[in-house]
Amino acid sequence: MAKLIKIAIAGEGGQGVQSIGDILAEAGNEEGKEALYIPNFGIEQRGGVSLAFVQISEEQIGSPKFQSADIVIALSERAVARTLQYVTKDTLFVYDSSLIAPPEVVDEVIGLQAYDTVAPEAQAGKIGRKAKSGHGELPENAKRLIGIPATAVAQQELHPRVFNMIILGATVRAAGIVEMKTIEKALESKLGKKFTDNPKLRELNFSALQKGVQLMDAALREEGQA
Amino acid sequence: MDKLIQEEKRVFMTGNEAVAWAAVAAGAEIMNGYPITPQNEIMHYWTRLAPKFNKKFLQTEDELSAGFTTIGSVLGGKKAFSATAGPGTTLFQEPLSMAEMMRIPMVLVVQQRGGPSTATVIYSQQEVNMVTFGGNGEGWRIVYSTSSHQELYDYTIKAFDMAWKYRFPAIILGDGYQAKMRESLLMYNPEERGIELVQPEAFVGKPGLPGRDRPASHLRNAFSVEEELFDAAMSIQREYDQMASEIIEADQQQIEDAQLVIVAHGVVSRAAVAAMNRLRAKGLKVGYFRPITLRPFPEKQLQAVAASCNNFLLVESALGQLARLFKEALFNVPVKTFQTIYKPGVGITAEEIVEYIEALG
Repeated sequence: MAKLIKIAIAGEGGQGVQSIGDILAEAGNEEGKEALYIPNFGIEQRGGVSLAFVQISEEQIGSPKFQSADIVIALSERAVARTLQYVTKDTLFVYDSSLIAPPEVVDEVIGLQAYDTVAPEAQAGKIGRKAKSGHGELPENAKRLIGIPATAVAQQELHPRVFNMIILGATVRAAGIVEMKTIEKALESKLGKKFTDNPKLRELNFSALQKGVQLMDAALREEGQA
Repeated sequence: MDKLIQEEKRVFMTGNEAVAWAAVAAGAEIMNGYPITPQNEIMHYWTRLAPKFNKKFLQTEDELSAGFTTIGSVLGGKKAFSATAGPGTTLFQEPLSMAEMMRIPMVLVVQQRGGPSTATVIYSQQEVNMVTFGGNGEGWRIVYSTSSHQELYDYTIKAFDMAWKYRFPAIILGDGYQAKMRESLLMYNPEERGIELVQPEAFVGKPGLPGRDRPASHLRNAFSVEEELFDAAMSIQREYDQMASEIIEADQQQIEDAQLVIVAHGVVSRAAVAAMNRLRAKGLKVGYFRPITLRPFPEKQLQAVAASCNNFLLVESALGQLARLFKEALFNVPVKTFQTIYKPGVGITAEEIVEYIEALG
Protein backbone atom coordinates (compact mmCIF):
# COMPACT_ATOMS: atom_id res chain seq x y z
CA MET A 1 0.00 0.00 0.00
CA ALA A 2 1.20 3.50 -0.79
CA LYS A 3 2.71 5.50 2.00
CA LEU A 4 0.13 7.59 3.83
CA ILE A 5 1.06 9.60 6.87
CA LYS A 6 -1.53 11.02 9.27
CA ILE A 7 -0.52 13.79 11.64
CA ALA A 8 -2.64 15.42 14.35
CA ILE A 9 -1.33 18.63 15.88
CA ALA A 10 -2.97 20.14 18.94
CA GLY A 11 -2.24 23.10 21.15
CA GLU A 12 -3.63 26.21 22.75
CA GLY A 13 -5.17 28.82 20.49
CA GLY A 14 -2.38 31.12 19.37
CA GLN A 15 0.42 28.55 19.52
CA GLY A 16 0.43 28.40 15.76
CA VAL A 17 -0.97 24.91 15.41
CA GLN A 18 -2.90 25.71 12.24
CA SER A 19 0.12 27.29 10.62
CA ILE A 20 2.14 24.13 11.24
CA GLY A 21 -0.58 22.01 9.64
CA ASP A 22 -1.05 24.35 6.75
CA ILE A 23 2.65 24.66 5.87
CA LEU A 24 3.21 20.93 6.22
CA ALA A 25 0.38 20.15 3.79
CA GLU A 26 1.42 22.92 1.44
CA ALA A 27 4.92 21.43 1.28
CA GLY A 28 3.50 17.96 0.61
CA ASN A 29 1.48 19.36 -2.26
CA GLU A 30 4.50 21.25 -3.54
CA GLU A 31 6.35 17.94 -3.84
CA GLY A 32 3.57 16.58 -6.05
CA LYS A 33 2.05 14.40 -3.36
CA GLU A 34 -1.58 14.34 -2.32
CA ALA A 35 -1.97 16.49 0.77
CA LEU A 36 -4.98 17.38 2.86
CA TYR A 37 -5.17 19.76 5.79
CA ILE A 38 -8.27 20.55 7.83
CA PRO A 39 -8.59 22.56 11.03
CA ASN A 40 -11.06 21.76 13.74
CA PHE A 41 -13.06 24.93 13.65
CA GLY A 42 -15.82 26.09 15.95
CA ILE A 43 -17.58 29.32 16.80
CA GLU A 44 -15.05 30.71 19.31
CA GLN A 45 -12.66 33.47 18.41
CA ARG A 46 -10.03 32.48 20.94
CA GLY A 47 -9.34 30.00 23.71
CA GLY A 48 -9.75 26.26 23.71
CA VAL A 49 -7.69 23.54 22.11
CA SER A 50 -6.84 24.11 18.47
CA LEU A 51 -6.47 20.96 16.40
CA ALA A 52 -5.09 20.46 12.89
CA PHE A 53 -5.35 17.27 10.84
CA VAL A 54 -2.79 16.70 8.09
CA GLN A 55 -2.50 13.78 5.69
CA ILE A 56 0.15 13.36 3.03
CA SER A 57 0.10 10.45 0.64
CA GLU A 58 1.12 9.17 -2.77
CA GLU A 59 -2.53 8.47 -3.56
CA GLN A 60 -5.95 10.06 -3.23
CA ILE A 61 -6.72 10.67 0.43
CA GLY A 62 -9.89 9.33 2.07
CA SER A 63 -11.83 11.14 4.77
CA PRO A 64 -10.45 14.53 5.85
CA LYS A 65 -10.28 13.54 9.50
CA PHE A 66 -9.05 10.27 10.94
CA GLN A 67 -9.31 8.20 14.10
CA SER A 68 -5.74 7.13 14.56
CA ALA A 69 -2.66 9.20 13.84
CA ASP A 70 0.85 8.10 12.89
CA ILE A 71 2.18 11.16 14.64
CA VAL A 72 0.48 13.20 17.36
CA ILE A 73 1.97 16.54 18.35
CA ALA A 74 0.53 17.84 21.65
CA LEU A 75 1.67 21.26 22.75
CA SER A 76 -0.17 21.80 26.03
CA GLU A 77 -1.60 19.74 28.86
CA ARG A 78 -5.11 20.11 27.55
CA ALA A 79 -3.87 19.21 24.10
CA VAL A 80 -2.43 15.98 25.49
CA ALA A 81 -5.82 15.03 26.92
CA ARG A 82 -7.56 16.08 23.75
CA THR A 83 -5.39 13.93 21.47
CA LEU A 84 -5.33 10.67 23.42
CA GLN A 85 -8.11 9.35 21.25
CA TYR A 86 -5.86 9.48 18.17
CA VAL A 87 -3.10 7.41 19.79
CA THR A 88 -2.63 3.72 18.99
CA LYS A 89 0.23 1.31 19.49
CA ASP A 90 1.69 2.58 16.21
CA THR A 91 1.63 6.26 17.12
CA LEU A 92 4.64 8.46 17.68
CA PHE A 93 3.50 10.85 20.41
CA VAL A 94 5.42 14.12 20.59
CA TYR A 95 4.83 16.60 23.40
CA ASP A 96 6.46 19.72 24.71
CA SER A 97 8.49 18.54 27.67
CA SER A 98 9.22 22.06 28.91
CA LEU A 99 5.57 22.72 29.34
CA ILE A 100 4.15 23.22 32.78
CA ALA A 101 1.63 25.96 32.14
CA PRO A 102 0.28 26.90 28.74
CA PRO A 103 2.92 29.10 27.11
CA GLU A 104 2.65 32.80 26.65
CA VAL A 105 0.79 33.37 23.47
CA VAL A 106 1.93 35.75 20.81
CA ASP A 107 -1.09 36.06 18.63
CA GLU A 108 0.77 36.30 15.37
CA VAL A 109 -0.60 33.61 13.13
CA ILE A 110 -0.51 32.91 9.49
CA GLY A 111 -3.76 32.30 7.68
CA LEU A 112 -6.71 30.64 9.30
CA GLN A 113 -6.68 30.18 13.04
CA ALA A 114 -9.41 28.20 14.61
CA TYR A 115 -10.29 26.66 17.92
CA ASP A 116 -12.25 23.84 19.26
CA THR A 117 -14.51 23.39 22.25
CA VAL A 118 -15.63 19.90 23.12
CA ALA A 119 -14.52 16.84 21.28
CA PRO A 120 -17.47 15.51 19.30
CA GLU A 121 -15.59 12.31 18.60
CA ALA A 122 -15.90 11.13 22.19
CA GLN A 123 -19.68 10.98 22.01
CA ALA A 124 -19.88 10.04 18.37
CA GLY A 125 -17.26 7.37 18.90
CA LYS A 126 -19.76 5.39 20.92
CA ILE A 127 -21.43 4.40 17.70
CA GLY A 128 -19.70 1.35 16.37
CA ARG A 129 -16.52 2.10 18.31
CA LYS A 130 -15.43 2.19 21.90
CA ALA A 131 -15.11 5.66 23.32
CA LYS A 132 -11.83 6.68 24.86
CA SER A 133 -11.53 9.01 27.77
CA GLY A 134 -9.02 11.80 28.24
CA HIS A 135 -7.38 12.45 31.61
CA GLY A 136 -4.43 14.75 30.89
CA GLU A 137 -1.72 12.15 31.41
CA LEU A 138 0.64 11.05 28.67
CA PRO A 139 -0.66 8.08 26.72
CA GLU A 140 0.51 4.66 27.83
CA ASN A 141 -0.31 2.91 24.59
CA ALA A 142 1.81 4.94 22.16
CA LYS A 143 4.61 3.31 20.21
CA ARG A 144 6.98 6.02 21.38
CA LEU A 145 6.78 9.10 23.57
CA ILE A 146 9.07 11.93 22.65
CA GLY A 147 9.45 15.08 24.71
CA ILE A 148 10.82 18.17 22.99
CA PRO A 149 11.65 21.22 25.14
CA ALA A 150 10.37 23.56 22.44
CA THR A 151 8.91 26.27 24.66
CA ALA A 152 12.07 26.54 26.73
CA VAL A 153 14.35 26.56 23.70
CA ALA A 154 12.20 29.15 21.95
CA GLN A 155 12.27 31.44 24.96
CA GLN A 156 15.91 31.00 25.92
CA GLU A 157 17.68 30.56 22.61
CA LEU A 158 15.48 32.07 19.91
CA HIS A 159 12.20 33.92 20.34
CA PRO A 160 8.83 32.77 21.72
CA ARG A 161 7.35 33.72 18.38
CA VAL A 162 9.07 30.92 16.50
CA PHE A 163 7.93 28.23 18.92
CA ASN A 164 5.77 26.67 16.23
CA MET A 165 8.66 26.61 13.75
CA ILE A 166 10.65 24.48 16.19
CA ILE A 167 7.68 22.14 16.36
CA LEU A 168 7.36 22.16 12.58
CA GLY A 169 11.06 21.27 12.20
CA ALA A 170 10.70 18.45 14.71
CA THR A 171 7.58 17.17 12.92
CA VAL A 172 9.27 17.21 9.53
CA ARG A 173 12.19 15.23 10.95
CA ALA A 174 9.86 12.69 12.60
CA ALA A 175 7.53 12.28 9.63
CA GLY A 176 10.26 12.09 6.99
CA ILE A 177 7.75 12.63 4.21
CA VAL A 178 8.69 16.11 2.99
CA GLU A 179 12.06 17.78 2.40
CA MET A 180 13.10 20.65 4.63
CA LYS A 181 13.85 22.63 1.47
CA THR A 182 10.19 22.44 0.48
CA ILE A 183 9.12 23.56 3.94
CA GLU A 184 11.38 26.57 3.63
CA LYS A 185 9.94 27.28 0.20
CA ALA A 186 6.37 27.07 1.53
CA LEU A 187 7.33 29.37 4.37
CA GLU A 188 8.92 31.74 1.92
CA SER A 189 5.72 31.92 -0.13
CA LYS A 190 3.63 32.53 2.99
CA LEU A 191 5.89 35.06 4.69
CA GLY A 192 7.85 36.32 1.70
CA LYS A 193 6.89 39.94 2.19
CA LYS A 194 7.65 39.93 5.90
CA PHE A 195 10.98 38.27 5.17
CA THR A 196 11.88 40.92 2.62
CA ASP A 197 10.95 43.68 5.05
CA ASN A 198 12.90 42.07 7.82
CA PRO A 199 15.53 39.52 6.71
CA LYS A 200 16.29 38.69 10.34
CA LEU A 201 12.84 37.17 10.56
CA ARG A 202 13.75 34.67 7.85
CA GLU A 203 16.93 33.78 9.67
CA LEU A 204 15.03 33.38 12.93
CA ASN A 205 12.39 31.15 11.38
CA PHE A 206 14.87 28.98 9.52
CA SER A 207 17.10 28.51 12.54
CA ALA A 208 14.02 27.57 14.56
CA LEU A 209 13.22 24.91 11.96
CA GLN A 210 16.78 23.58 12.19
CA LYS A 211 16.59 23.62 15.97
CA GLY A 212 13.45 21.53 15.78
CA VAL A 213 15.19 19.02 13.54
CA GLN A 214 18.13 18.81 15.96
CA LEU A 215 15.91 18.35 18.99
CA MET A 216 13.97 15.56 17.30
CA ASP A 217 17.20 14.02 16.07
CA ALA A 218 18.61 13.98 19.58
CA ALA A 219 15.40 12.59 21.04
CA LEU A 220 15.26 9.80 18.48
CA ARG A 221 18.94 9.01 18.98
CA GLU A 222 18.45 8.84 22.73
CA GLU A 223 16.08 6.01 22.11
CA GLY A 224 18.61 4.46 19.78
CA GLN A 225 16.21 4.46 16.91
CA ALA A 226 17.39 7.25 14.66
CA MET B 1 -10.35 41.91 -19.02
CA ASP B 2 -7.88 39.37 -17.66
CA LYS B 3 -8.19 35.82 -18.71
CA LEU B 4 -9.16 33.83 -15.64
CA ILE B 5 -6.64 31.04 -15.90
CA GLN B 6 -3.64 31.43 -18.19
CA GLU B 7 -3.09 27.70 -18.40
CA GLU B 8 -4.33 24.61 -16.61
CA LYS B 9 -2.67 24.50 -13.25
CA ARG B 10 -2.61 22.48 -10.09
CA VAL B 11 -3.51 24.59 -7.09
CA PHE B 12 -3.74 23.94 -3.36
CA MET B 13 -6.62 25.75 -1.68
CA THR B 14 -9.80 25.49 0.38
CA GLY B 15 -13.04 24.24 -1.15
CA ASN B 16 -14.68 27.63 -0.70
CA GLU B 17 -11.92 29.23 -2.73
CA ALA B 18 -12.30 26.55 -5.42
CA VAL B 19 -16.03 27.32 -5.69
CA ALA B 20 -15.40 31.05 -6.13
CA TRP B 21 -12.88 30.38 -8.91
CA ALA B 22 -15.25 27.90 -10.55
CA ALA B 23 -18.09 30.42 -10.53
CA VAL B 24 -15.85 32.91 -12.32
CA ALA B 25 -14.77 30.21 -14.77
CA ALA B 26 -18.42 29.30 -15.40
CA GLY B 27 -19.16 32.88 -16.42
CA ALA B 28 -21.19 33.88 -13.37
CA GLU B 29 -21.71 37.62 -13.37
CA ILE B 30 -23.10 38.36 -9.93
CA MET B 31 -23.27 36.75 -6.53
CA ASN B 32 -26.06 37.78 -4.17
CA GLY B 33 -25.17 36.56 -0.73
CA TYR B 34 -25.58 36.64 2.98
CA PRO B 35 -22.80 35.37 5.25
CA ILE B 36 -23.01 32.12 7.15
CA THR B 37 -20.33 29.68 8.27
CA PRO B 38 -18.96 27.51 6.72
CA GLN B 39 -19.54 29.11 3.31
CA ASN B 40 -18.33 32.65 4.13
CA GLU B 41 -15.10 32.40 2.19
CA ILE B 42 -17.00 31.77 -1.05
CA MET B 43 -18.27 35.32 -0.65
CA HIS B 44 -14.89 36.60 0.47
CA TYR B 45 -13.02 35.12 -2.47
CA TRP B 46 -15.74 36.14 -4.90
CA THR B 47 -15.52 39.75 -3.72
CA ARG B 48 -11.77 39.62 -4.26
CA LEU B 49 -12.09 38.14 -7.74
CA ALA B 50 -15.17 40.07 -8.88
CA PRO B 51 -13.58 43.50 -9.47
CA LYS B 52 -10.74 41.95 -11.47
CA PHE B 53 -13.16 40.29 -13.86
CA ASN B 54 -15.79 43.00 -14.04
CA LYS B 55 -18.30 41.05 -11.96
CA LYS B 56 -20.64 42.13 -9.22
CA PHE B 57 -21.54 41.31 -5.66
CA LEU B 58 -24.60 42.22 -3.65
CA GLN B 59 -24.80 41.58 0.06
CA THR B 60 -28.42 41.31 1.12
CA GLU B 61 -30.08 41.53 4.51
CA ASP B 62 -30.82 37.81 4.77
CA GLU B 63 -31.03 34.59 2.77
CA LEU B 64 -34.60 35.15 1.57
CA SER B 65 -33.41 38.33 -0.02
CA ALA B 66 -30.23 36.68 -1.33
CA GLY B 67 -32.41 34.10 -3.08
CA PHE B 68 -34.92 36.54 -4.53
CA THR B 69 -32.27 39.00 -5.71
CA THR B 70 -30.53 36.08 -7.39
CA ILE B 71 -33.79 35.39 -9.24
CA GLY B 72 -34.04 39.09 -10.06
CA SER B 73 -30.53 39.10 -11.50
CA VAL B 74 -31.38 36.07 -13.61
CA LEU B 75 -34.63 37.64 -14.89
CA GLY B 76 -32.53 40.59 -15.97
CA GLY B 77 -30.30 38.31 -18.01
CA LYS B 78 -27.38 37.71 -15.66
CA LYS B 79 -25.78 34.45 -14.63
CA ALA B 80 -26.29 34.73 -10.90
CA PHE B 81 -25.62 32.52 -7.90
CA SER B 82 -25.53 32.40 -4.15
CA ALA B 83 -24.11 30.25 -1.36
CA THR B 84 -25.44 29.31 2.04
CA ALA B 85 -25.66 26.68 4.78
CA GLY B 86 -27.88 25.35 7.56
CA PRO B 87 -30.62 27.77 8.61
CA GLY B 88 -29.76 29.79 5.49
CA THR B 89 -30.69 26.80 3.34
CA THR B 90 -34.03 26.75 5.15
CA LEU B 91 -34.73 30.35 4.14
CA PHE B 92 -33.61 29.62 0.61
CA GLN B 93 -36.48 27.18 0.10
CA GLU B 94 -38.87 29.98 -0.72
CA PRO B 95 -36.88 31.51 -3.58
CA LEU B 96 -35.94 28.00 -4.76
CA SER B 97 -39.64 27.07 -4.95
CA MET B 98 -40.33 30.19 -6.94
CA ALA B 99 -37.51 29.31 -9.33
CA GLU B 100 -38.98 25.83 -9.73
CA MET B 101 -42.46 27.11 -10.49
CA MET B 102 -41.34 29.89 -12.81
CA ARG B 103 -38.57 27.82 -14.41
CA ILE B 104 -35.83 30.25 -13.44
CA PRO B 105 -32.30 28.88 -13.59
CA MET B 106 -30.10 29.66 -10.62
CA VAL B 107 -27.15 28.12 -8.80
CA LEU B 108 -26.93 27.73 -5.04
CA VAL B 109 -23.88 26.31 -3.27
CA VAL B 110 -24.73 24.69 0.05
CA GLN B 111 -21.89 23.88 2.49
CA GLN B 112 -23.73 21.71 4.99
CA ARG B 113 -23.33 22.41 8.70
CA GLY B 114 -24.89 20.65 11.66
CA GLY B 115 -28.63 20.83 12.23
CA PRO B 116 -31.41 21.36 13.13
CA SER B 117 -31.38 25.11 13.71
CA THR B 118 -28.05 26.76 14.59
CA ALA B 119 -26.50 23.45 15.74
CA THR B 120 -22.83 23.50 14.66
CA VAL B 121 -20.99 25.63 12.14
CA ILE B 122 -18.77 22.68 11.32
CA TYR B 123 -20.07 19.81 9.24
CA SER B 124 -22.91 17.41 8.49
CA GLN B 125 -24.87 15.70 5.74
CA GLN B 126 -28.14 16.78 7.29
CA GLU B 127 -29.28 19.10 4.52
CA VAL B 128 -30.09 16.34 2.06
CA ASN B 129 -33.84 16.36 2.77
CA MET B 130 -33.92 20.10 2.40
CA VAL B 131 -31.94 20.45 -0.81
CA THR B 132 -33.75 17.60 -2.55
CA PHE B 133 -37.36 18.14 -1.51
CA GLY B 134 -37.47 21.34 0.55
CA GLY B 135 -40.05 23.99 -0.17
CA ASN B 136 -43.68 23.57 -1.12
CA GLY B 137 -43.51 21.59 -4.30
CA GLU B 138 -42.19 18.51 -6.03
CA GLY B 139 -38.42 18.81 -5.80
CA TRP B 140 -37.82 20.13 -9.30
CA ARG B 141 -34.16 20.84 -8.79
CA ILE B 142 -30.79 19.47 -9.69
CA VAL B 143 -28.55 18.49 -6.77
CA TYR B 144 -24.91 17.51 -7.21
CA SER B 145 -23.26 16.07 -4.11
CA THR B 146 -19.50 16.60 -4.43
CA SER B 147 -16.69 14.74 -2.67
CA SER B 148 -13.49 16.63 -3.47
CA HIS B 149 -12.18 20.02 -4.47
CA GLN B 150 -11.83 18.86 -8.05
CA GLU B 151 -15.51 17.98 -8.05
CA LEU B 152 -16.47 21.26 -6.40
CA TYR B 153 -14.75 22.98 -9.32
CA ASP B 154 -16.08 20.67 -12.06
CA TYR B 155 -19.66 20.48 -10.81
CA THR B 156 -19.98 24.18 -10.04
CA ILE B 157 -19.22 24.83 -13.70
CA LYS B 158 -21.61 22.06 -14.70
CA ALA B 159 -24.36 23.32 -12.38
CA PHE B 160 -24.47 26.65 -14.20
CA ASP B 161 -24.69 24.91 -17.54
CA MET B 162 -27.39 22.46 -16.51
CA ALA B 163 -29.46 25.12 -14.72
CA TRP B 164 -29.43 27.42 -17.74
CA LYS B 165 -29.88 24.62 -20.25
CA TYR B 166 -32.89 23.03 -18.54
CA ARG B 167 -34.16 26.02 -16.56
CA PHE B 168 -34.25 24.37 -13.16
CA PRO B 169 -32.42 25.60 -10.06
CA ALA B 170 -29.18 23.69 -9.49
CA ILE B 171 -27.57 23.08 -6.11
CA ILE B 172 -23.99 22.15 -5.33
CA LEU B 173 -24.13 20.19 -2.10
CA GLY B 174 -20.82 20.37 -0.23
CA ASP B 175 -20.16 20.46 3.49
CA GLY B 176 -18.06 22.23 6.09
CA TYR B 177 -15.16 19.81 5.65
CA GLN B 178 -15.02 20.37 1.91
CA ALA B 179 -15.45 24.09 2.51
CA LYS B 180 -12.59 24.48 4.97
CA MET B 181 -10.06 21.81 4.14
CA ARG B 182 -7.19 22.39 1.75
CA GLU B 183 -6.26 19.94 -0.99
CA SER B 184 -5.12 20.06 -4.57
CA LEU B 185 -7.17 20.45 -7.72
CA LEU B 186 -6.64 21.27 -11.36
CA MET B 187 -8.12 24.58 -12.48
CA TYR B 188 -8.93 25.17 -16.13
CA ASN B 189 -10.90 27.34 -18.48
CA PRO B 190 -13.97 25.27 -19.41
CA GLU B 191 -14.02 26.56 -22.99
CA GLU B 192 -10.49 25.31 -23.54
CA ARG B 193 -11.69 21.85 -22.63
CA GLY B 194 -14.48 22.06 -25.16
CA ILE B 195 -17.17 22.78 -22.57
CA GLU B 196 -19.58 25.17 -24.22
CA LEU B 197 -20.94 27.57 -21.63
CA VAL B 198 -24.65 28.29 -22.03
CA GLN B 199 -25.16 32.01 -22.48
CA PRO B 200 -27.86 33.63 -20.36
CA GLU B 201 -30.55 35.87 -21.79
CA ALA B 202 -32.99 38.22 -20.19
CA PHE B 203 -36.34 36.70 -19.23
CA VAL B 204 -38.13 40.02 -18.99
CA GLY B 205 -37.72 43.52 -20.38
CA LYS B 206 -36.66 42.43 -23.84
CA PRO B 207 -37.03 44.97 -26.64
CA GLY B 208 -40.28 45.19 -28.63
CA LEU B 209 -43.93 45.09 -27.69
CA PRO B 210 -44.89 41.74 -26.14
CA GLY B 211 -47.50 39.94 -28.21
CA ARG B 212 -46.78 41.99 -31.32
CA ASP B 213 -43.01 42.12 -31.85
CA ARG B 214 -42.17 39.08 -29.75
CA PRO B 215 -43.93 36.43 -27.68
CA ALA B 216 -44.82 37.66 -24.21
CA SER B 217 -42.72 36.33 -21.33
CA HIS B 218 -45.20 34.62 -19.10
CA LEU B 219 -43.52 33.50 -15.92
CA ARG B 220 -46.12 32.37 -13.44
CA ASN B 221 -46.02 31.26 -9.87
CA ALA B 222 -49.71 31.94 -9.18
CA PHE B 223 -52.74 30.24 -10.69
CA SER B 224 -56.39 30.99 -10.14
CA VAL B 225 -57.82 27.62 -11.16
CA GLU B 226 -56.84 24.17 -9.93
CA GLU B 227 -56.75 22.69 -13.42
CA GLU B 228 -54.39 25.39 -14.60
CA LEU B 229 -51.89 24.43 -11.92
CA PHE B 230 -52.43 20.75 -12.74
CA ASP B 231 -51.51 21.36 -16.38
CA ALA B 232 -48.47 23.42 -15.42
CA ALA B 233 -47.29 20.88 -12.86
CA MET B 234 -47.67 17.93 -15.22
CA SER B 235 -45.85 19.73 -17.96
CA ILE B 236 -42.95 20.71 -15.67
CA GLN B 237 -42.77 17.16 -14.34
CA ARG B 238 -42.56 15.77 -17.89
CA GLU B 239 -39.68 18.10 -18.67
CA TYR B 240 -37.99 17.25 -15.39
CA ASP B 241 -38.26 13.52 -16.14
CA GLN B 242 -36.90 14.04 -19.61
CA MET B 243 -33.97 16.00 -18.22
CA ALA B 244 -33.36 13.36 -15.56
CA SER B 245 -32.29 10.70 -18.05
CA GLU B 246 -29.75 13.13 -19.48
CA ILE B 247 -28.12 14.42 -16.31
CA ILE B 248 -28.22 11.64 -13.74
CA GLU B 249 -24.79 10.63 -12.45
CA ALA B 250 -23.54 7.93 -10.13
CA ASP B 251 -20.23 6.31 -9.32
CA GLN B 252 -19.70 2.65 -8.54
CA GLN B 253 -16.75 0.30 -8.10
CA GLN B 254 -16.18 -3.43 -7.71
CA ILE B 255 -19.87 -4.34 -7.90
CA GLU B 256 -19.49 -7.43 -10.13
CA ASP B 257 -18.42 -9.92 -7.45
CA ALA B 258 -19.38 -7.86 -4.39
CA GLN B 259 -21.05 -9.55 -1.44
CA LEU B 260 -21.62 -6.25 0.31
CA VAL B 261 -22.03 -2.78 -1.20
CA ILE B 262 -21.18 0.35 0.78
CA VAL B 263 -23.49 3.26 -0.13
CA ALA B 264 -22.43 6.82 0.63
CA HIS B 265 -22.52 10.28 -0.92
CA GLY B 266 -20.42 13.42 -0.77
CA VAL B 267 -17.27 13.53 1.31
CA VAL B 268 -18.22 10.31 3.13
CA SER B 269 -17.85 8.40 -0.15
CA ARG B 270 -14.10 8.97 0.12
CA ALA B 271 -14.09 6.97 3.34
CA ALA B 272 -16.27 4.34 1.64
CA VAL B 273 -13.81 3.92 -1.25
CA ALA B 274 -10.81 3.80 1.10
CA ALA B 275 -12.60 1.21 3.27
CA MET B 276 -13.48 -0.87 0.20
CA ASN B 277 -9.85 -0.84 -0.97
CA ARG B 278 -8.54 -1.90 2.44
CA LEU B 279 -11.10 -4.68 2.75
CA ARG B 280 -10.44 -5.87 -0.81
CA ALA B 281 -6.73 -6.06 0.07
CA LYS B 282 -7.77 -8.45 2.85
CA GLY B 283 -9.81 -10.52 0.44
CA LEU B 284 -13.28 -9.30 1.39
CA LYS B 285 -15.60 -8.83 -1.57
CA VAL B 286 -16.85 -5.32 -0.96
CA GLY B 287 -18.20 -2.87 -3.53
CA TYR B 288 -19.26 0.73 -3.45
CA PHE B 289 -22.07 2.87 -4.86
CA ARG B 290 -22.40 6.62 -4.73
CA PRO B 291 -25.15 8.83 -6.13
CA ILE B 292 -23.61 12.04 -7.49
CA THR B 293 -26.94 13.58 -8.43
CA LEU B 294 -29.20 13.31 -5.36
CA ARG B 295 -31.96 14.95 -7.43
CA PRO B 296 -32.76 13.43 -9.82
CA PHE B 297 -31.65 10.24 -8.05
CA PRO B 298 -29.87 7.48 -10.02
CA GLU B 299 -32.61 4.93 -9.37
CA LYS B 300 -31.93 2.67 -12.35
CA GLN B 301 -28.21 2.55 -11.58
CA LEU B 302 -28.92 1.58 -7.98
CA GLN B 303 -31.48 -1.02 -9.04
CA ALA B 304 -28.89 -2.58 -11.35
CA VAL B 305 -26.49 -2.77 -8.40
CA ALA B 306 -29.19 -4.41 -6.26
CA ALA B 307 -29.78 -6.98 -9.00
CA SER B 308 -26.12 -7.96 -8.66
CA CYS B 309 -25.68 -7.66 -4.88
CA ASN B 310 -28.44 -6.94 -2.42
CA ASN B 311 -26.53 -6.63 0.83
CA PHE B 312 -26.02 -2.98 1.66
CA LEU B 313 -24.22 -0.90 4.26
CA LEU B 314 -25.34 2.73 4.03
CA VAL B 315 -23.11 5.29 5.67
CA GLU B 316 -23.96 8.96 6.22
CA SER B 317 -23.38 11.90 8.58
CA ALA B 318 -27.12 12.20 9.17
CA LEU B 319 -29.91 10.05 10.58
CA GLY B 320 -31.19 8.42 7.41
CA GLN B 321 -31.57 11.25 4.90
CA LEU B 322 -29.66 9.49 2.13
CA ALA B 323 -31.32 6.27 3.30
CA ARG B 324 -34.74 7.76 2.50
CA LEU B 325 -33.72 8.40 -1.12
CA PHE B 326 -32.11 4.96 -1.26
CA LYS B 327 -35.24 3.17 -0.03
CA GLU B 328 -37.48 5.02 -2.43
CA ALA B 329 -35.24 4.07 -5.34
CA LEU B 330 -35.40 0.41 -4.32
CA PHE B 331 -39.14 0.26 -3.67
CA ASN B 332 -40.35 -3.24 -4.45
CA VAL B 333 -36.79 -4.43 -5.14
CA PRO B 334 -35.73 -7.29 -2.90
CA VAL B 335 -32.97 -6.31 -0.47
CA LYS B 336 -31.52 -9.07 1.69
CA THR B 337 -29.66 -7.05 4.30
CA PHE B 338 -29.63 -3.33 4.95
CA GLN B 339 -27.34 -1.95 7.63
CA THR B 340 -26.40 1.58 8.48
CA ILE B 341 -23.81 3.77 10.14
CA TYR B 342 -25.57 7.03 10.96
CA LYS B 343 -23.48 9.78 12.54
CA PRO B 344 -25.46 13.02 12.45
CA GLY B 345 -23.15 16.01 12.22
CA VAL B 346 -19.94 14.01 12.59
CA GLY B 347 -17.42 12.83 10.01
CA ILE B 348 -17.03 9.17 9.12
CA THR B 349 -13.64 7.60 8.55
CA ALA B 350 -12.50 4.62 6.52
CA GLU B 351 -11.22 3.01 9.72
CA GLU B 352 -14.62 2.75 11.34
CA ILE B 353 -16.28 1.42 8.19
CA VAL B 354 -13.55 -1.24 7.99
CA GLU B 355 -14.00 -2.05 11.68
CA TYR B 356 -17.78 -2.31 11.28
CA ILE B 357 -17.58 -4.64 8.28
CA GLU B 358 -14.88 -6.81 9.83
CA ALA B 359 -17.04 -7.21 12.91
CA LEU B 360 -19.81 -8.62 10.72
CA GLY B 361 -17.58 -11.65 10.25
